[in-house]
Amino acid sequence: MSAPVTIRPSADAAVVKGGPTRSESLTSLMPVLALVSLVIALAAAKPGFLSQPSMTAVVDAAAPLAVLAAGATIAVLCGGIDLSIAALASLSSVLLALWLPTLGGLASVAVVGVAAAAGALQGAAHVFLRIPSFIVTLGGMSLFSSIALVISGAAPVPVTDDGPIRWGFTRIFDVVPSAAVVAVVVVAVLAVLIKATPLGSWITATGYSEPAARLAGIPVDPLKIGAFCVSGACAGLAGVLLVARTFSGGPTMADSLLLPAIAAIVVGGTAITGGHGGLWRTLVGALVVTLLRVGLSVVGVSAAYESILYGALIVAAVALTLDRSKVMVVK
Amino acid sequence: MAPLVDTRPARSRLRRGVSVRDAGPPIALLVIVLILSLLSPQFRTMGNALNILDAAAVLAVVTCGTTFVLLLGSIDLSAAGVMGASSLVVAVLVENSRNNLDLGTLGILIAVVLAAALGCVSGLLVVLLKVPSFMTTLGVSAIGLGVATLVFDGVQPGVVDPSLRSWATGRLLGLTYLTWIAVVCVLLAWFVQRYTRLGRYAMAIGGAEEVLALSGVRVGPYKVAVFTMAGAFYGLGAVMVTSQLGSGLVQSGASYTFASITAAVVGGTLLVGGRGGVLHSTVGVLLLTVLTNGLVLIGVSPYVQGGVQGLIVVVAVAVAAAPLRHRNQVVK
Repeated sequence: MSAPVTIRPSADAAVVKGGPTRSESLTSLMPVLALVSLVIALAAAKPGFLSQPSMTAVVDAAAPLAVLAAGATIAVLCGGIDLSIAALASLSSVLLALWLPTLGGLASVAVVGVAAAAGALQGAAHVFLRIPSFIVTLGGMSLFSSIALVISGAAPVPVTDDGPIRWGFTRIFDVVPSAAVVAVVVVAVLAVLIKATPLGSWITATGYSEPAARLAGIPVDPLKIGAFCVSGACAGLAGVLLVARTFSGGPTMADSLLLPAIAAIVVGGTAITGGHGGLWRTLVGALVVTLLRVGLSVVGVSAAYESILYGALIVAAVALTLDRSKVMVVK
Repeated sequence: MAPLVDTRPARSRLRRGVSVRDAGPPIALLVIVLILSLLSPQFRTMGNALNILDAAAVLAVVTCGTTFVLLLGSIDLSAAGVMGASSLVVAVLVENSRNNLDLGTLGILIAVVLAAALGCVSGLLVVLLKVPSFMTTLGVSAIGLGVATLVFDGVQPGVVDPSLRSWATGRLLGLTYLTWIAVVCVLLAWFVQRYTRLGRYAMAIGGAEEVLALSGVRVGPYKVAVFTMAGAFYGLGAVMVTSQLGSGLVQSGASYTFASITAAVVGGTLLVGGRGGVLHSTVGVLLLTVLTNGLVLIGVSPYVQGGVQGLIVVVAVAVAAAPLRHRNQVVK
């Protein structure tokens, strides 16, 4: 299970610019190249695309997806995966809509807290019970959906007074969508936190080779629980952003965001095998995924192809970024 | 699986452990049936027993497919998408309310072949590109749902074909035809698992893939074949659902991905591969269906069912993994 060559490009490779080997720097640049070529192609197909209102709309649409995917990126970097994010975001939207009348502004904080706790619980189950993370989070997905359906009575919960969460859906100076600012701040805070503390190297080491990380004395178990906790918190925040723009919470509201979120992570170039990747990449990935969706409708392709596209995109991106030196036996 | 373990006398301790594991799910099934019979007078009727068998039919067929993939040590999250595509395709190919096609049995065959092809794509991606199966099958599921949405095209195709409709309504010895199809499928899958090279190798791949590969077996084609066969089972399951619903729906297979994995794991087909089998999984299917039926009769909201399944699968995997806790430090 050793990967002597690929361990070298540690935390530095996480930033978009230059990895040491040519193929790695290529995969690092690929998401940005994809983004740029998509923008050029769309601008050519539809002249008004580069105008400010249309750019604002794209960035705004990408924001909840980016927040959702940013948290899950950390779980992927540790070598796991979180399939429960979309269901947890839906549950959060329901909780927020139910709690807003009584808690007001605190409701958002409470919801993010509950989502973080739910994420941490899954992380703990993964670590202490030794269950693969995708099965824990698949179970979590089912559980959260069911809780959301029960407490909402399987119907959307309307929000009458959206004052306390208006910050999630306004335009700053009439131009910049606040949701996009939230997304950038979330990514920036997490990225700085990871960069400025040993956490970054711990996460990379755990992702590249968990046994080695354990032997090196890295607190792998708390680290993984923390990763799933952050993933949950981000899902909660994404739920808040969704409520702010739809004025309601729905038990299946965010469920369709699971595939786009995973696509954003892997298209950004984060390897599903762990270790290699980064948060800023996911931000780029979220923009690429959103632009692709917009692009499809601009070109006039039926929305049905969207799902096919996500499926193909995920498999292709995973195949490209996979660290093959690490997988002897593919399960 | 017995000969793989039984032949060596030194393994007696292990064998006892295996037999306890094998006996657990059937005992749990009996206990749950007893408890529910005591709690609910409606539950302990002959009619309800037949209902439960009928309700278990589709899940049993789908779980046959999932079981083989789990035996490999892989996982298949594509049932929802594959079933959606297959359900729509069969609905527009047999005599239906949308077009003039009336292919009958050929239409059913095409739908099953399409599903097998989607399964084959998952398998090829796993073997050729070395992408982990949970990712390829998630992708293929999305592709299947896309195909289903394309065929759906905004107008729900209703099934008119009398023979397909009779699958869900016609009865033989008190049970619907669907249930008999499921019985045949389970027996067929058990035969494949027990007596064919494909089944034996699937088990061995899950047990120790490296050893099998080093022994000169080309593992790849068998893996692809297993995923293809799983797809075919999902396709048949989708045709059965379509017969039940009377129309093709994109979401017709949505709940089966998770339910089939839960059923297999609860029945004793472990996620690590190489353990369990079709009969184990079928016990799991009955357990799950009895639980669903019983909870509804006791008056628990149907929305709670998903949550119960979620908890069950995590607990079942945890219990199965518990004896190996100290050996497996690294779990992804």
